[in-house]
Amino acid sequence: MRQSKLAAALLALLMLGGCAAAPAQRHNVAIVAKSTSTEFWAAVFAGAEAAGAEYNLDLSITGPETEEDYETQNAMIAQAVEDGAEALVFSAIDFEANAAAINEAARRGVRIVVIDSGVDSDAVETYIGTDNLAAGRMAAQAALDGTPGRLTVGFVNYDVNSANGQLREQGAREALADSGRAQVAACINTVSEAGAAMQDTLAMLNAHPEINVLIAFNEPTSVGAARALDASGRADAVALVGFDSNVETVDGLQTGLVDALIVQNTYAMGYLGVESAYRLLTGQGGSMLRTVDTATRIITRENMFTIDGQKALFAFE
Amino acid sequence: MKRPRLTGLLLCAITVITAGALVAAVALFINRYRTATVQTARTSSAQAVSQVADTVGNYVQQMDDAMALLADAMDEPARQRDDFLEAFLKIRPEIAAVTTYNAEGELLHCWSAGHTPRENIITNLSFDTERMESMGERIVTAPHVATIFEGWYPWVVTMIDRIDAPDGACFVALDLSFSSISKTIANVGIGQHGYCFLLDQQGNLVYHPQQQLIYAGLKSEDTARLAAAENDTFEENGVIYSIQAVEGSPWRVVGVSYVDEQVNRNVAQLAKMSIVIVLAVLAAALLAAALLARIVTRPLQNLAGEMERFEQDADQFTYQEVNGTREVGELSASFGHMVVRIQQLMATVREEEINLRKTELKALQAQINPHFLYNTLDSIAWMCERGKNADAVQMVHALARLFRISISKGHELIPIAREIEHAESYLQIQKYRYKNQFTYHFQVDPACTEYLCNKITLQPIIENAITHGLDLLVDEGHIEVEVLQDGEDILFKVTDNGVGMEPEQVRAIFRREPGDRTGIGIKNVNDRLRIYFGEGYGLTIDSVPDEGTTVTVRMPRVKEGSYETK
Repeated sequence: MRQSKLAAALLALLMLGGCAAAPAQRHNVAIVAKSTSTEFWAAVFAGAEAAGAEYNLDLSITGPETEEDYETQNAMIAQAVEDGAEALVFSAIDFEANAAAINEAARRGVRIVVIDSGVDSDAVETYIGTDNLAAGRMAAQAALDGTPGRLTVGFVNYDVNSANGQLREQGAREALADSGRAQVAACINTVSEAGAAMQDTLAMLNAHPEINVLIAFNEPTSVGAARALDASGRADAVALVGFDSNVETVDGLQTGLVDALIVQNTYAMGYLGVESAYRLLTGQGGSMLRTVDTATRIITRENMFTIDGQKALFAFE
Repeated sequence: MKRPRLTGLLLCAITVITAGALVAAVALFINRYRTATVQTARTSSAQAVSQVADTVGNYVQQMDDAMALLADAMDEPARQRDDFLEAFLKIRPEIAAVTTYNAEGELLHCWSAGHTPRENIITNLSFDTERMESMGERIVTAPHVATIFEGWYPWVVTMIDRIDAPDGACFVALDLSFSSISKTIANVGIGQHGYCFLLDQQGNLVYHPQQQLIYAGLKSEDTARLAAAENDTFEENGVIYSIQAVEGSPWRVVGVSYVDEQVNRNVAQLAKMSIVIVLAVLAAALLAAALLARIVTRPLQNLAGEMERFEQDADQFTYQEVNGTREVGELSASFGHMVVRIQQLMATVREEEINLRKTELKALQAQINPHFLYNTLDSIAWMCERGKNADAVQMVHALARLFRISISKGHELIPIAREIEHAESYLQIQKYRYKNQFTYHFQVDPACTEYLCNKITLQPIIENAITHGLDLLVDEGHIEVEVLQDGEDILFKVTDNGVGMEPEQVRAIFRREPGDRTGIGIKNVNDRLRIYFGEGYGLTIDSVPDEGTTVTVRMPRVKEGSYETK
């Protein structure tokens, strides 16, 4: 009796000592973006890749050609799940139409992180991106600060089903209404592509010649609006507040074509999105915030070449 | 409280001592090892940083040379100068642009591979007109974006030299992007996650492997403090910082590495190994201890068990040798000797005691109560005087018989028939003396008469019955003497119808010492029976006041010759 007890204790001690550390395992994380063509997404991907390298992840990055193609996005979600993704870093083109695909992925055990633009699903464990309502208000504020007197505003927005664009527009409307000296004359929902946005903006400017402020709510629409103003020759008469950093709009900021840019921290969205996915997969998701607000800046001609302005506008490669 | 067992004590002691010694040794070893590893990590960090500083220094030297070449080229005619610059920019793709400025700070020329400056330059971060006046021979700016091109905003550091060119250019500026330096620095790893970065005197990051993370506000470096620090290697909160200025430039290389991963990983491995060894040694020690305890304590336990058996029954104990180590063997042998010796001593003591008692009793038996003798002789004389010669003869015969049997040639045990004869003689004499105040009757099982009994067993009992039971009785007394068998035993029963006794008197009888009125008391009869036949034999007295007393003598059936062999 005594002997067997002793033997058991010894065995337990030896096993304790012999415990080997579990081998590290590469996690598979898939990013499904709204698009792969804009500078905005290039910066997001750069951030994502930095995090992927840092946390030793298998990272796949996909996105449709245009920011309206939610069906392709749904197919990409399904494909990513098929390819063994354990976590999905996702930006929804359509708040509602993407929900089923995300729910299905979550049902199959995939952890969901949303960046930039939300989706109508309870499976989303964290949202990382801009506080879009506040960003919309910032855009309106920049327009109000840059334009004395009455403002007659034209909105150049993109897909009406995209959650972030709608929130920004809502924020802008609220801030403009609060000012008491602005009215929204027209609002277009154009395709999120510079060429189309330019055509639609030109049409709006022609239809509403009283417009003296344009607010565009993402990078392609901002580029389109800038081109439209340039083409219409009304750059001096019409103020333009855009979103995000593109060489065309940055050039426009220098020349006066663009008056202000609301610059999101795109690199951080990519980095934090992937980092959050990693934390969820490694069981560190307990203290994760439901919403992570990445910083947003108003960049004008005055502050664009300050060191902070440079850091916000220009990616370091 | 239960005392601990030797096995437990031994195990505890060995475990504690072994574990303590091992843990102390391992802790000391790991501590020394950690110190040594930290030192190594610091050295390797310093070496890596020094190498990077050398490489960057070389690069700076190359740029110095390039600047010298550029300054020379500016003296050439425009055509040759432009050709040179075209070739120069081709072989040095990390140079984003070369620009020249006149004394007023206006841009004179710009050379850049594949890019032309915008017509209307709004801001030029590469050349600060205001700083121009205060500058010495050489300015190296903080990192900034090149802003003179349309749709191209690379991050650069600008080097500016004073020149004196024939076309009026007073300054030449070289915009240097980081592609070359970045390869040098980004590929330097110190440990697993350690890295190097380049800092200028003001604490601006010139190049950092995670520069964009820092620009996006996701990471930070305490650049201001590091920019102010001397060339040094120091450890702080588990991070080793190594700082080395780059020769010939305002830059410094900072190496960051983590003590934890470099040191702790090794230490953890070492600790793990040590724990396994410690556990193995501990297990071996415990096993040895358990074995030792078994070898030592098992025989001791056996010995203790034997001792306990001996204590419980010393007479019948036979000792079995206990095996074990030599010490235990010696102990066991000693105990064996002791057992034999004690048993011998016990036998001797018992024998001596019995002999003593026998001698004592014999002496008592030999005594003739003089009063009894005087009284009897008085009675006989009286009978003779009265002419009752026949009675006198009977008395003399009875007295003679009494003494003859009392002596019995010195034998202690006599046939029961003789004992009855003795008792009857005594009763005869007493009946004369008490003038027929009592009657007596013998009822003897004839089968018993051939067995032996202690002589003078009945007489003291009868004497007691007469003097204490019948003497005080007003009516005629009666004494009934029975001899019968009871199983393997023989019983004598002497019953009188006298005054009887209280229980207290009964107890007093068993305590009374000889030397009272008769030679042998009831107590002595009882003692004699016990000495001869052992516990379980002897006298019992049943007495009821005013009704009478029965004294029962129990003894074994003993035949001629059988007792002496017992």
